[in-house]
Amino acid sequence: MDYLATKYLRSRKIPSSACSGCGLGQCHKALVKAIDDLGYERNDIIWGTSIGCAGRQTFATWKGDSFAGTHGRVYAIARGLRLALAPEKRLVLTVGDGDAFGIGFNHLLHAVRTNAQMTVMVCDNLGYQSTGGQYGWTTPPGVVTDSSPYGMFEPNWVQPGRDVLMILKEAGATFLARHVSMDGGVLVETLRKALRNNGFSLVHVVYPCTTNFGKNALGSRKPVDIFRWIKSHAKPLGLEKEDTIWRTGIYLDASNSRPEFSQFMREKVEEIRRRHGNEGAH
Amino acid sequence: MKERTEILASGFGGQGVVRLGQIIGEAGVRQGLHVTMLKSHGTEMRGGYVRSQVVLSKDAIDSPICESPDCFIALSGAAYGQFRHLMPKYGIILYDPAFVEEISQSLDCLQKAIPAKELSSKNFGSPLFANSLVLGAVARLVGILDKDIVVESILRVMPKFHDENRRAFQIGYDYVG
Amino acid sequence: MTAETQRDKPGKTDETMKRYLETGNFAVAQAAVMAGCRAFCGYPITPATEIAEAMSKLLPRVGGYYVQAEDETAAMHLAIGASLGGMKSMTATSGPGFILYADPYGWAIGCEVPLVVLNAQRVGPVSGITGAPGQGEFYLSRYVTQGGNFETIVLAPGTAQEAFALTIEAFYLSERFRTPVTILADQLITDGWEDLSIPETEEEKRLMGLKFFERRAHPGPKFYPPTDEIDVPPVVLGMGAGALCSDWTPTEEGYDIETVEAQHKHAYRLIYKIRNHKDIIMRSETLFLDEEPDLVVVAYGTPSRVVKTAVKRAHERGQSIGMIRPISLWPFPEELFKSRATYLSVELNYDGQMVREIQRAAPCGSEVHFFGKCGELPTVSELQEVFDKLLKGEPLQRRGWETEAW
Repeated sequence: MDYLATKYLRSRKIPSSACSGCGLGQCHKALVKAIDDLGYERNDIIWGTSIGCAGRQTFATWKGDSFAGTHGRVYAIARGLRLALAPEKRLVLTVGDGDAFGIGFNHLLHAVRTNAQMTVMVCDNLGYQSTGGQYGWTTPPGVVTDSSPYGMFEPNWVQPGRDVLMILKEAGATFLARHVSMDGGVLVETLRKALRNNGFSLVHVVYPCTTNFGKNALGSRKPVDIFRWIKSHAKPLGLEKEDTIWRTGIYLDASNSRPEFSQFMREKVEEIRRRHGNEGAH
Repeated sequence: MKERTEILASGFGGQGVVRLGQIIGEAGVRQGLHVTMLKSHGTEMRGGYVRSQVVLSKDAIDSPICESPDCFIALSGAAYGQFRHLMPKYGIILYDPAFVEEISQSLDCLQKAIPAKELSSKNFGSPLFANSLVLGAVARLVGILDKDIVVESILRVMPKFHDENRRAFQIGYDYVG
Repeated sequence: MTAETQRDKPGKTDETMKRYLETGNFAVAQAAVMAGCRAFCGYPITPATEIAEAMSKLLPRVGGYYVQAEDETAAMHLAIGASLGGMKSMTATSGPGFILYADPYGWAIGCEVPLVVLNAQRVGPVSGITGAPGQGEFYLSRYVTQGGNFETIVLAPGTAQEAFALTIEAFYLSERFRTPVTILADQLITDGWEDLSIPETEEEKRLMGLKFFERRAHPGPKFYPPTDEIDVPPVVLGMGAGALCSDWTPTEEGYDIETVEAQHKHAYRLIYKIRNHKDIIMRSETLFLDEEPDLVVVAYGTPSRVVKTAVKRAHERGQSIGMIRPISLWPFPEELFKSRATYLSVELNYDGQMVREIQRAAPCGSEVHFFGKCGELPTVSELQEVFDKLLKGEPLQRRGWETEAW
């Protein structure tokens, strides 16, 4: 990570304040690698984050401009910002599962609806971990957390027939994918594709939380246990097994097939200005 | 000259009460006067009447409420009943007998009938121009208003049927002469 | 000669200016565009919808954006985003939407984002009566978000003309103080029709006393100085300054930190940049205060107009009476409450909100009374009755279900 860190990340934020054994670094590194692969400079990208583990640990790591929205609102801030930013600037968001699929879902959907350019990496640690470990909208069935002491018995949003990525697809996203953080080069390749889409891209990446999830669900804080557990329950799309929880790969690549939010806003405003600009303000 | 002139119009929804107030207000602005106009809000409309309160003055207007109307245009029995008690001695109630059937004999102010609906139907084959007739009467009775500017304002606020509106205005104006 | 004073009276007009019969909604939209607003993010709500509608028509003509959001929380966050990108932006709502602004207000206050917010107060709580005037957000507009440790700037217009001038002033102050500025209006201001002068030339704008302030961008790296200074450029993203802004307690550079000292530095700025420059914000109108009247009537917004008529008439009749109309509501103009007197707060609510603030500001030995109506204005005759009672030393009584009193 040295070369990438020196080039793109603030030294003040390295090492990160994440718990030891946390898999968030894998997600973060994959994204920075994809950015580097595409040749972006630090001022080409404005980096937004959410609250929770994913947001807090990645906020202000980027050497360029960075902002953090409060619970679930970063998509609305980003959409407003998208209007004011120069078209060539890219918005990248690193957010958590609770932020994206719970408290911010309404705002996320409307960013999707308008195909606003933002590459959203949902770093999923399978529940609300920064508050001590409560179940969330992606917590696997049966898993014990501090707020599901008898096992998670509510439906979640990653199961076939109830997959949040399908909702986002129908809502108008132009790039959707799912991975686990140990997917390495495959994850980087997906993120490169996501970044190339001038529209709404979302990459859902499951990563291990040793401190709360590992302890509660698996009874172990040993990183190797949870890394192995997540990896064993992830299979590429089409190769699912009976115990597969996460079907990985690209769910939708309709990159650059539909007008981007700020682009159609600009074009429409320009057209209206041409037609009505001389009519004055009254 | 009077400090302020208050004109209250009230009737039921769909009679163009707000439009009436708007035209008088527009005339006020064109005459270089200060104007306020409160139109009825939802609670009033559900209460069975619609109201426009117009205040005209050479000076800046503080209270926008018609508490002592110089002119009250009553276009329904309910409106008449609701607001007649506000009338000062010097005020005048202008009512359309097609809608206000019973008139209180105990009021001190002048009450003048203007059968606007009937006159409009008779002259134009439609009640559509009743308000322009009323405005003709108002322009004559309310001292501060300039006749020609009220006509201009009617034509500006109501872009259609200019000839009919002009004629209706004159009929109303002559009727109260 | 009456002893009538208005500090820095906004909205002085000239007879040659272009005049309209229009609503306060129209006035606000015109002013926003004139002040340089290029993004309006809203959500339909009575009685502020017409501002959104007007902005949707006007903004594209000048190259600006109207965005209708999925809810009010999003609306203000979108406006924040546009401002963060360097655009002057605005949103407008009424009570039920204003409460949803609590969340973005916190973010905008903490990150010091210039922004203008209008609240057309109606009758509450909750949806209440949609199309009638109320004044239920006096304190809410001061304490717009959780957590404390901030001051707010709130301006309260009494007429459509003043709504025009104060909207321009709100943009001006929001840039200088880098904070959201709230215009606390009511349904009669936004929906009521009035004659309105709109300046067109620079000379006319100057004559009206309008001030404008262009957007600047902070060059970094100390985006959040621990001082009370104003005119610090705000954070603008996309300029390559390495800018940081977040909902966490910031270091001077904007990194998230959890120390009491950093929080104190941040809070000091949020509080004292406003407290220590209150003179720039302060606006008020008073009547007959130099006569040290026995009775001082206090009102803001549209009820103040009726109060003004009533006070002038009572004064003509020889009663010892004066009036205070705060135009800048927050910070509250306590300097105006110098003399020991009987104060009367006239408000469009039944619970009495500003009356508490007057109790705080008035000198020892003063009496503070409350007269409340809601959904409609008080009348001059009602007020005269109240004045007579108070001047005779009689207590006020409620008149159910018409008026409320303390």
